[in-house]
Amino acid sequence: MVATEVFTSFIQYVVLGLMLGGVYALAAMGLALLFGVANLINFAHGEYIMLAMYMTYVVSLGLLQDPVLSPIVTVPVFFIIGVLTYLGVFKRLVTAPPLSQIAATVGILVLLRNLALTIWAAEPKAPPYTVFATSVSLGPLTIPLDKLLATVVSIAALLVLYFFLERSRLGVAMRAAADDVEAISLMGVDTGRLFLTTTGISMAMVGLSGSLIMTFQAVTPTSGLLFGLLTWAIVALAGLGTVRGILVSAIIFGVVDSLASGLWDPRGREIVLYGLFILILWVRPKGLFGRR
Amino acid sequence: MEKNRIFTAIAGAAAAVFPLILGLNEYYVFLVTLIMLYTTIVVAWQLIGGLGGQLDLGAGAYHGLGAIVTGYLMVYHGISGWVGLFAGGLAAAGVAFIIGYPSFRFGLKEVWYALSSLALVLILQKIFLLWTDVAGPLERYIPYAAFDPIFMRSGYKTFYYYITLALFAATLALVYRIRKNKLGLYLQSIRDNEEAAEMLGVDVRKYKLIALLVYSFIAAMTGGIYTSMVGFYHPTLFDSWISIQTVTLSIAGGLGSLWGPPITSLILLTVQEYLRITLGAVIIGLHQVIFGIILIFIILFRPEGLGPLLDTLSVRLGLGSKASKEM
Repeated sequence: MVATEVFTSFIQYVVLGLMLGGVYALAAMGLALLFGVANLINFAHGEYIMLAMYMTYVVSLGLLQDPVLSPIVTVPVFFIIGVLTYLGVFKRLVTAPPLSQIAATVGILVLLRNLALTIWAAEPKAPPYTVFATSVSLGPLTIPLDKLLATVVSIAALLVLYFFLERSRLGVAMRAAADDVEAISLMGVDTGRLFLTTTGISMAMVGLSGSLIMTFQAVTPTSGLLFGLLTWAIVALAGLGTVRGILVSAIIFGVVDSLASGLWDPRGREIVLYGLFILILWVRPKGLFGRR
Repeated sequence: MEKNRIFTAIAGAAAAVFPLILGLNEYYVFLVTLIMLYTTIVVAWQLIGGLGGQLDLGAGAYHGLGAIVTGYLMVYHGISGWVGLFAGGLAAAGVAFIIGYPSFRFGLKEVWYALSSLALVLILQKIFLLWTDVAGPLERYIPYAAFDPIFMRSGYKTFYYYITLALFAATLALVYRIRKNKLGLYLQSIRDNEEAAEMLGVDVRKYKLIALLVYSFIAAMTGGIYTSMVGFYHPTLFDSWISIQTVTLSIAGGLGSLWGPPITSLILLTVQEYLRITLGAVIIGLHQVIFGIILIFIILFRPEGLGPLLDTLSVRLGLGSKASKEM
């Protein structure tokens, strides 16, 4: 009897972890795209996700009533934020050594984190009420609808990105840039515009992802650090930043996260996640799917 | 060279009587001590970062370990903070070895090394949050003593000012010496071109590890001084902010420059504290928003940092040695 209960709760956490993984995949994809295509190291990626969560909070309290609708605002706004970030900062960093990229984006991290602290103070902001904040029972399992919705939308967005990269001219140029930037600039591709668009798309995904995470998780100014390390860990495990690689790697991290907080201690999840991250860097420095 | 000595003597004398200039105002002495404590970490970071070229974000981990070990020994075993400083340093160097050895063995570089060292800060923070025998979620208070130099506990901040000043001066002297001897040259060769250095027979892993151990030891000592000064310890002393601040100040000061990072750190931290007093009380966090903007501007428009500027200035004044001119 006890054994079946333990087994059921184990399966329950695995299912929750799978859903979490889908959400994490979208969160990490923007980072992987920017890193892969433009070779840009964005240390402030997590802070942008945090900012998207706050924006969702504000927009759904004041304007749209339900955070599920907030991507209407956050996605275009974050595309613009991406374009502005590129023109203001990233443009000068494309050819800079990794050290300067890390340094400048750490500057953005400091700026965004404290901007959030200035505007919204240090207390956590709980997710605004959504009609999806219920759950359905599936046999012995409980499926929270807000997380299910977040996963489904995330995966749908990743599918759109996948076909965009495979089929469209711009997508092909992006994949080519990931292989050899010099070659494509010789082929007449305007790399400046390409990287501008890539940053915009990367940030649009951050906007969507932040909105979806905000449907079930609270946000504080330091949330950025958690998401920053988590998304980098996912990119490290995936190796090459393909959609498939990121999805597999994010699901592994989602399941580990869910099991660690469910079966051990929610405060211990970061020990497990980051410990796994460091181990991956030691044991499989090329990730699951190889890295240049 | 003679000018150099005179300058050092003047700076030392000014530092020695500085608390008197502040009128022994406890609050100002506390602030100045804090600024000097964080600048000490910046100086020590030059070994692994500025000379060795490894973007280490683990300062918060080592600082926190020093604080917890020193505090734990003082609270639970009544062991003097002086012993704690070295015990904390050894503990931090031990952890740095456990993490650093495999990292350098497996050739972690650039962003991946930076991220894994940052992860270490958060891992240690959570470990000590769950380890309630030593730390846990509650603050642990060190018994109060008005003035007990043997136990290294004092109600007067000036006491800590002089301890910090001694550590700061010793760290500066150490980094200055290492820069000029073989170890420093090996580290610079690794920073400039790791493969080439390795091919020429430089034991890359060994020298990176030595730099990491010395730096983590000093960072832990700053943690021990801090915890005795504020009189308590808590897992949040594993502060990722200390890591980020150390790296950004070093880069703003100019990697590899001798005087750039400490002087930039002293100036920017003073500006930050000033902004905290004037603006921070009005709008929390605003002083660090401005701090962030200053950093981005320095990195975008003066990527080599403020160091070369300061070094030229010191050469103009006839203070800099030849070594710092070449950097």
